[in-house]
Order: sequence, then structure tokens, then C-alpha cells
Amino acid sequence: MAAFTYAPAIVLLPFVSFLVALFAGDRMPKGGALAGIAATGGSLLLSIWVTLTVAGFTGSSTSYNEFVYTWVAGVDSIALRFGLLLDPLSALMLLIVTLISFLVHIFSLGYMNDEGETGLPRYYAGLGLFTASMLGFVVANNLLMAFTFFELVGLCSYLLIGFWFREDGPPSAAKKAFLVTRFGDYFFLIGVVGILATFGTGLFAPIREGGDVVAQSFPALAEQAVVNGATEGIAMLDTIGMGAQAWFTVLGVLVLGGVIGKSAQFPLHTWLPDAMEGPTPVSALIHAATMVAAGVYLVARMYGFYAISPTALAIIALVGGFTALFAATMGVVKQEIKQVLAYSTISQYGYMMLALGSGGYVAAVFHLTTHAVFKALLFLGAGSVIIAMHHNENMWDMGGLKERMPVTYWTFLSGSLALAGIVPFAGFWSKDEVLYEALIHGLGSSGGLGPAYLVAYAMGLLAVFMTGFYTFRMVYLTFHGEPRSDIARDPVEVGWNVKGPLSVLGVLAATVGLINMKPVAELTGAHIDFLHAWLHGPDEGGWPAQLGTGLVRYEETLLHDVAGVSAGYPLGEIGTLLASALLSLALAVAGVLVARSLYGGAEPVEHTDKLGNAKTLLMHNYYQDEYQVWLATGFTYPVARAMDKFDQGVVDGVVNGVSSVSLFGSSRIRKIQSGVVSNYATLLTLGLVLLLVVFGISGGWF
Amino acid sequence: MAIPAEYYLLLSAAVFCIGLFGVLTRRNALIFLMSVELMLNAANINFVAFSLQHGNLTGQVFALFGMAIAAAEVAVGIGIILVLYRNFTDVDVTKATTMRW
Repeated sequence: MAAFTYAPAIVLLPFVSFLVALFAGDRMPKGGALAGIAATGGSLLLSIWVTLTVAGFTGSSTSYNEFVYTWVAGVDSIALRFGLLLDPLSALMLLIVTLISFLVHIFSLGYMNDEGETGLPRYYAGLGLFTASMLGFVVANNLLMAFTFFELVGLCSYLLIGFWFREDGPPSAAKKAFLVTRFGDYFFLIGVVGILATFGTGLFAPIREGGDVVAQSFPALAEQAVVNGATEGIAMLDTIGMGAQAWFTVLGVLVLGGVIGKSAQFPLHTWLPDAMEGPTPVSALIHAATMVAAGVYLVARMYGFYAISPTALAIIALVGGFTALFAATMGVVKQEIKQVLAYSTISQYGYMMLALGSGGYVAAVFHLTTHAVFKALLFLGAGSVIIAMHHNENMWDMGGLKERMPVTYWTFLSGSLALAGIVPFAGFWSKDEVLYEALIHGLGSSGGLGPAYLVAYAMGLLAVFMTGFYTFRMVYLTFHGEPRSDIARDPVEVGWNVKGPLSVLGVLAATVGLINMKPVAELTGAHIDFLHAWLHGPDEGGWPAQLGTGLVRYEETLLHDVAGVSAGYPLGEIGTLLASALLSLALAVAGVLVARSLYGGAEPVEHTDKLGNAKTLLMHNYYQDEYQVWLATGFTYPVARAMDKFDQGVVDGVVNGVSSVSLFGSSRIRKIQSGVVSNYATLLTLGLVLLLVVFGISGGWF
Repeated sequence: MAIPAEYYLLLSAAVFCIGLFGVLTRRNALIFLMSVELMLNAANINFVAFSLQHGNLTGQVFALFGMAIAAAEVAVGIGIILVLYRNFTDVDVTKATTMRW
């Protein structure tokens, strides 16, 4: 219980470090870095405490869902209230965010301070504000608060991408990231308003006092409306004239707009590769491990709402599967190390969406966890390489760094094996589970859902090969062979503050998959799928009954009974599991071997020309930027100009016309005010005579 | 043998019209003022005539008030004409047109 009392401090500590860095960073050693490290370290410790409490190690209470602060009180309407929802999902995410943020702060000492960058207080203030906003988003117990912090992390992303604002690229990339994600957030905002108008609440989980529900949550209300037809109190449905499920699908898809923007899913993924203009620790923290995860986390957070709509699930799965493959193909031809990682990030978030869409809630959370670790590791490793290479990111100028920077090499290799999905590194277990869930639900679900899942699964499976290939193309080009430039022959030495975080994450990337070794658990019958148990909760009572965010409810009640997602095992349960695992492993290994044969030599050469026209297509990222720019300049701009013409011509024209008629009229009429008294007297007399005549005629005097 | 009221009214209308004619045609401010006096006194004649007709003294009292007001008006009017003369070195009412738009 006590841990929950201090839980707001998890969010507030980085916020304090933001204030300290902003206002006192100039006068502090290391430009405010130490405050950030202390704050995120404190948040990490508190998060561990909260996690232990949620797990039940420190007492009986295992969840928390309360409002702590009313920001804007509404009269007979919705209030903007900040509240904390602490359940296994948010506790896990708290751990991930605070851990990565802590390590990135330490790494920044090496990447920013030791490189003699200026503007460090601004940098650490940005990191602090970002961490605070992200943690606020994670613990948010209602949609309005989540939206607020969702926007705040977007702002921090903008500020940090544009950190080197005196160069040409970063400000432009920052604006692009801001605008593209804002485009998605626009739909999210409509969705939030729609959900609040429909249900009158944005709560993710019901608030209880002494066992009674005092404030119901919107996923629960939606479930009642769909399952029992209990639509009283949802007046919106009559206004809209749609069925409950159809309307909830519309709302879910609107919210999904924000998710697609923030998690860089097709077609709003174009900002993420450009965001690599920011400092590399920022890329690791924001554009790989945490902020990009916010979209996926949001879907997981309100999974009860999506799980009642098969259409929304199919859309999520297809978008995810397509993005996974689409981004992976672009990663194959990139020359900058960070670009490869950026496309790989997009691709991996595609896997998480695929898992969420195809009913693999645990798989998605698992992949989110492992990906946060190994992708942060890869980005920090790339950062280390970039320090060594004097900020040259082109992989064709590297080579042979293996002997010269062994710590970076071995940790990077650990992350790469995890990314490629090679057993027993983290990515294997999670990616395998994602694909397995998509496969069995694709085989078992009836109607259009099954084929949709199978298509998404096929794309995800193909992307496994690509992932293995581009990952090890990157490793071979960067670390193996002979050095291809003078800098690569004599790289700069990196310090402890770079090697330390790399080592921690390197060990984690190799081991974090052990928290949910589903194939081993199924084979041996041992209960070692800890993450599954963690998200499943106790069978009776406890937080799943309290909050309704447990796995039993999601999987058995909603997905199976309402959405019609069911599993099919053509080879038996264990057989299908092993076949799926072996298939994805074989593809990943094949990808690695192809990369080795093409780029593993001492003097690798470019093979991209063999792709022919496809190379041009891939190098231009499928012309995604071009068509989006065309949408803006070729379509939106003329439409806006036409609207402007209408506004200036017709709307303003009427107003201006009225006033010019009045001006003209009065300029003529004022002439009778001549200033000559006799004229006035004449007018008076004429008026009197006229009146008399009128009275005379109407009175019948004549 | 009382004179019928119609004759008084005709007299008053004639005096009023003379005054009105003066106001409309003359340009000298003093003549202007005199014409206004004529119109006022035309009204006074009406008051007195109707008072006699109805045997009611109220009209005669009002005629006294009218004369008092006419005296006051002349005082103010002469003052205005003096200022007019100082500013425009003339008492022509059509010259003083600086207050228009």
C-alpha cells in the first residue's frame, strides 16, 4: 500500500529534474545530467517497489486505481482528472521506461558531455520532461489524461529531434515528426471526444470502494452494451443510429489513428527515419524503446475495448503485419547505421500490432518488453560506434571495429541476435510467440478474421527473414572485415559511461526472453511462462476481478466469445508450437547466413544494384515521402486555396459589400448637412407641410 | 359683441407665415431673430384667442409665459449674434457653416 502512496513521485521526480536542468543547469556540473540520473534512478527504485507491491511481495494489495488530482472540475460534465492505474501492465511498463531512461541518462554523459556539446541544460531538461510525460502516460487511469501526456511526449520528441537546431536537417525532421504524429493525433482526439460523449467516462478500469463500483470504465460499459445489449445511459447510440458494436469499432479505429502515428505504423511511419537526426541517446530512449511504444501500450491499455470488435482487431493485425514487412524491406538497402535501426524499429512495432490484433495480448507485451531492451541496446551501441567514427554514420566507411571496440561489439552482437530472433536471445522468444499467436488464431477463427490473420502472419513471417538479413548486414558491415576508412582504423576510445549501459542492456538482451519461454514451458510442462502468469493474475479475485484488465477476461470472455477469435492446432498444440518456432528460427538463420555470404568477407561490396529497379524503389522508401508531400502540396494546398478564395470572396464579400453600400449611401446623404441654417429651416418646414398633407389626406380633410 | 375666434386664428396664421417667410428668405441674423419673435407671438395670439373662446384663464397665463420666454430667447439670441459677428465679422447666417461635416 505504501508504495502506491509514493507512486506519483515516479512521475514527479523526472519533472523536478526537468525544472532543475532548465533553471539551474548552467550552474551545475555536467549541465544537469546528475539531477536527471538521480531522478530517473529514484523513479526506477520506486517502480521496482511498485512492481513488487503489485506482485504481492509486500502485502496483500495488488492493484491501485484512484484519482489523485482534479485539474479542471466540470459542472454536470466531464472533469479533467489525473489518476493512477497501477496493475501488472503499467507496472511492467514503468520498469521498462525508468530503466531505459536511467541508462540513457548515463550514456548521455558519454555521448553529449564528453563530446563537448553545448546546450546541455536544454538537452537534459528535454530528457527529464520526456521521462515525466511518458511515465504520466503509463500510469494514466483515464483516456483524457493519457491523451494529455501522449501529446506531451510528442512535444518532447519534437524538442529533442531538433536539438541541433542550427543545422539544416534536425529542425526540418522535428517539424515533420511533429506534423505527421499530430495528423494521427487528430483522429485520436476525435476518438477521445467520441468515447467521452458516448460513455461519459474515460476510465480504463472501474474504480471501486469497498468492493462496489463507484465509477465504471468505458471498456466495461462497451462490453455490457455489446454482450448484454445494455445500452441505457449510452444516449449517443440513438443519435448516431448505429449498432453498438459498429459504433465502438468506429471509435476504436479513430483512437487507432493516434496509435498509428505515434507507433510509426504504415502509412504514418515516415517521420521515424527522419527523427534519427536527433542525438542518438534520444533515438534510443524516445524513438525506439519508449515513446514509439506509447501507441502499442495504449492499445494494450484499452484492450478490452478493442477485443469486442473483430473489425478493429483485423485492421490492427493487417496494419501491423504489413508494416513489419514493408519497413523491413526498406531496412535492407540503407547505408546509415541509424537508418537501418529506424526501419527495424518500425518493423518490430508492426509485430506488436500484429500480436495485439490477432489476440496475442501477452505476446505483444512480451515483444514490447524485449524490443525496448534490445533496440535501446542497439541504438546505444550505434551511438558508441558513432562516437568512435566522429559522427560518421555511413556503414560503408566502417568495418573491422570488432577488434578495436570489443565491448561495443559483443553487446551489439547480443542485441542483433535478439533482433534477428536467434535462440535463445530475447527477440526469439517474443517474436516467435507473436507469430505463433497470429498463426493459431488465423487457423482457428471463422469468417473473415481467420484469412486476415493468416495474411498478416505470412507478411510477418517473411519479415523475419528480412530482419535476420538486414541486422547481420549491419553487423558485418560495421564490425567485420577490414576497416574501410582512416577513422575506422583508429576509432575514438569510448568511456565507462558508454560501456556501462551497453553491458547492462547486453546482458538483458540475452536473458530477458527467459521471462516467457512458452515453447519450453509447453514441452516440459513447467510453469516458467512468468510474463503470462504476471498478466494473467490469480484465478479468483485479486486485481483481474477488481479492474477487469486480466488475461482471462480479455482472452476467454472478449476475444473468444465476442470477437470470435479462436485457436486452431492442425498439428496438435505442441506440434504447432514447435513447427511455428522452427519455421521462424529457420527463416531468421537463413537471413543471417545470406547476409554472411554477401557481406561477411574481408572486403564486402555493395550488392544492392542486383535488385535493379527495386533498389531505386527501396532507396526512395517506396516514394512514401513523395506522395505525402504531393498530398500536401498537390491536393490539400489547392483545396485550401479554393476554400480561402471562397472565404475571402463570398463570406467576406457579403460583409464588405454591406459596409460599402452603407458607406456610399451615407457619403451621399451627408451632403444635405450643409451648415446653412436656412436650409435646415426649409427642410423643417417642408417636413411639417408634408406631415400636414399626409394627415390631411388620411384624415379626409380635403 | 365679440369678434369670432376664426378672425384671431386667421390673424395668427398670417403673422406666423410672415415670420416663417422671414426665416426662410432672410440672411441677416437680426431679421432672423425678429421673424422668430413673430412666430412666437402668433402662438401667443392663439393662446389668448382660445382662452377667450373657452372662458378659461389658463391660455392667458401661458401667453404671459410665452412672452417671458421670448424675452429670454432674445437675450440669448443677441448674445449668439454678437459672437457670430466677432467670429465671422458679419451677421449673415449662411456664412457660419464651419460646424458641418
